Amino acid sequence: MTQVTPRPAQGSAPARAPGEARPAVPARPGVARRALLRLRLRSRPSRVVAVAVVAVAAVIALFTVTNASIGNARDGLRVIGHQAGPQVVATANLYFSLSDMDTQVSNILLYGNGKNGKVALGFNRDQSLGVYDADRTAADSAAMRALALTGSDPDQQATVQELLDGMGQYEQLAAQAIQLDQQSGHAPGAAPANVLAVQRQATDLMRQSLLPKAYNLTLDSGSIVRRTYEDKRGAVLDGRWWVGLAGLGTVALLVALQVYLTMRFRRLVNPALALATVGCLVFTVLATLLLSSEADHLREAKVRGFDPVLALSRTRAISNAMNSDESRYLLDPARADTYDQTYLEKAQSILYTPSVDLNGYNRGVNAAIGPAGVPKRPMEGFIGVEAQHITLPGQRAVVDRVLSGFRQFQRSDARVRALAAKGDQRGAVAVRLGQAEGATNVDFALYDLSTSSLIDIHQQTFTQAIADGDAAVGGWNIALPVTGLLVVALIVVGVRPRVAEYR
Amino acid sequence: MRHTIRPRRARTLRRTAAALAVAALALASAACGTASGAEKSVADHEAPLVIGVKADQPGLGQRQGAKDSYDAYTGFDVDIAKYIAAKLGFTTGEVEFRAVTSGNRESLLRSGAVDMVVASYSITPERERQVLFGGPYYVAHQDILVRSSDTSIRGVKDLAHRKLCKVAGSTSWERVIKEGDVPAVPVAAPDYSACVNLLRDKKIDAVTTDDLILAGYATASNGELRVVNAPFSDERYGVGLRKGDVAGCEAVNKAITSMYQDASAQLLLAQWFGKSGLETTTDVPQFEGCS
Repeated sequence: MTQVTPRPAQGSAPARAPGEARPAVPARPGVARRALLRLRLRSRPSRVVAVAVVAVAAVIALFTVTNASIGNARDGLRVIGHQAGPQVVATANLYFSLSDMDTQVSNILLYGNGKNGKVALGFNRDQSLGVYDADRTAADSAAMRALALTGSDPDQQATVQELLDGMGQYEQLAAQAIQLDQQSGHAPGAAPANVLAVQRQATDLMRQSLLPKAYNLTLDSGSIVRRTYEDKRGAVLDGRWWVGLAGLGTVALLVALQVYLTMRFRRLVNPALALATVGCLVFTVLATLLLSSEADHLREAKVRGFDPVLALSRTRAISNAMNSDESRYLLDPARADTYDQTYLEKAQSILYTPSVDLNGYNRGVNAAIGPAGVPKRPMEGFIGVEAQHITLPGQRAVVDRVLSGFRQFQRSDARVRALAAKGDQRGAVAVRLGQAEGATNVDFALYDLSTSSLIDIHQQTFTQAIADGDAAVGGWNIALPVTGLLVVALIVVGVRPRVAEYR
Repeated sequence: MRHTIRPRRARTLRRTAAALAVAALALASAACGTASGAEKSVADHEAPLVIGVKADQPGLGQRQGAKDSYDAYTGFDVDIAKYIAAKLGFTTGEVEFRAVTSGNRESLLRSGAVDMVVASYSITPERERQVLFGGPYYVAHQDILVRSSDTSIRGVKDLAHRKLCKVAGSTSWERVIKEGDVPAVPVAAPDYSACVNLLRDKKIDAVTTDDLILAGYATASNGELRVVNAPFSDERYGVGLRKGDVAGCEAVNKAITSMYQDASAQLLLAQWFGKSGLETTTDVPQFEGCS
């Protein structure tokens, strides 16, 4: 910092401007003036260069901060939209197919000789076998998809591998049980002991080993999504402030440089610098807006897409296991109490009403849901919560369908259990496996179809929000460095001729 | 007069820079403020971690010493709790145990007196409305304990006309007589330890409750008593957490997953229940989910 004092120094100390660091101590005015002139001649271009370098550094900082913030948005979109999110769907499909395999095996064993018996059971054994085969194929491809999506997570990889091994084992046991059953030719309903011995091994493997692993994978992916969402969305929101600050700082520096050059060189506006300034300003505004909208896309994808998809996928999984429990309840009377209890607990997790037994539960469900499936009061449990959060077009109607479908599923289940309790095995099996509405087989399928439609609604919202988020950051990996280089080039172009004037 | 302008401009610039710095600081602290302020989570590693366990359940949670020290309690539940605490990043010095009963688990969690409960705590829809459950870490089943010499009882149906312990406040015996429709003869006792004494003295023929509890008594009896291995319900033993501690619940589930993957769970089951003759499940249970 140099200062030229217009006042000649005569013995007394020169007047010092407040805040000035170095006192000017010219011994003799003429000498000092010459020295200062030399200094200024040397220092003026370097000062211009220095301010320009600081401005360039600020521009680099601005673009680095922006790049990092957009990187957070990209990471969020990648994990939520393309890894853990799809993994939830893949593993939920795996659970569903596996659980349905066990349902079909139980159904196949329930028919016994019913196919040729006096009471037509409607749905036939060969159809169950066909569904079983289809489930098996679906489970295989879902497991492969899940394996591909585990990425580098060693725990998830180990779990999927164990699942694949277990599936082979299950299929062997199931084939064995089906073969023994065919040989026994028992009446519809409970299977003979030798069949049950193998069926129990199969169903225990499924219930205690395979299904828990598939379900835990779904939950694990869900928690990855939750953590990523909180971390990355928080970082994107904070990033807005940092980008805004860096942008304002850069613009302020460029304006200062502009003013300095204008005054120093008595020029009009330096067009290149002005362009760089406007460029930075527009960039900052656009980047801030982008980050805001990315945070919104992430929120939309998570809250209205992912969360309900996860909850409803769990609903579908648990409902299928209930459907399975009903078949097992008929097939294995010795374990009927266990299957009864697990059925009730599952039902309560889907739609909660307090009760210690199924009869009380069904009374509660009937009382809580109106005729058209409209809930009469806010309820807990997966579908209960869903019914309280209607935010998407078309969602209300489907939720009502899910609720009335669930109630109908429970009504026919109650009929099956009532017949079984009276000792009417054949009647119970007929209601279980019939092909018309009022048979649990059909009522479950209808209810499941509604749940799937509801998942689709949220899945679409999810996919759209992720696609919007991807599209918004799409061009930025090119636009960002290009704009950055352009701004730096403009600064150089604006400053260079001024510096050259000293040469 | 250009010369006199410069220092003033320099000052203006400096002031602007200072103002910007202040604004940046304010923003930074505001940003930090949004990140913290959530309620305490067991995943946050804030010592001490207070874990509620049973003090009077052989094989599951039993107090040996007088003080509530790290080594004062022993049992399967206690070892599970220690494993989870270690996975959550707590050293042995940072973990405290506290005795809980079936009646006060929810209130102690709610008041924050305990951070976590591992105490043969079955997950039920009713309890889930009050606390959040990590796990289950094991699915126990209701089973039957008999004298080893008695081979006539092989399942629930064989309890017909036999004397069955009826513990005050427990629903296990009801499940046999009322829901199972088995005409057993209930004999009242204050708790399961009393039931086991009655069984040894041949005053009753069977005790029914969760298999892990029965296995604890069977092991303690040195072969005098045995578990029938006729499971007839699912009791999902969960890790009780404060409602809302989603991050903690997820961390607990991760710990339980690795407990089964590194075979610690299998080892603990063998260690505590291997001698009882109980058939245990060695696969990771289906978690309840944290939300």
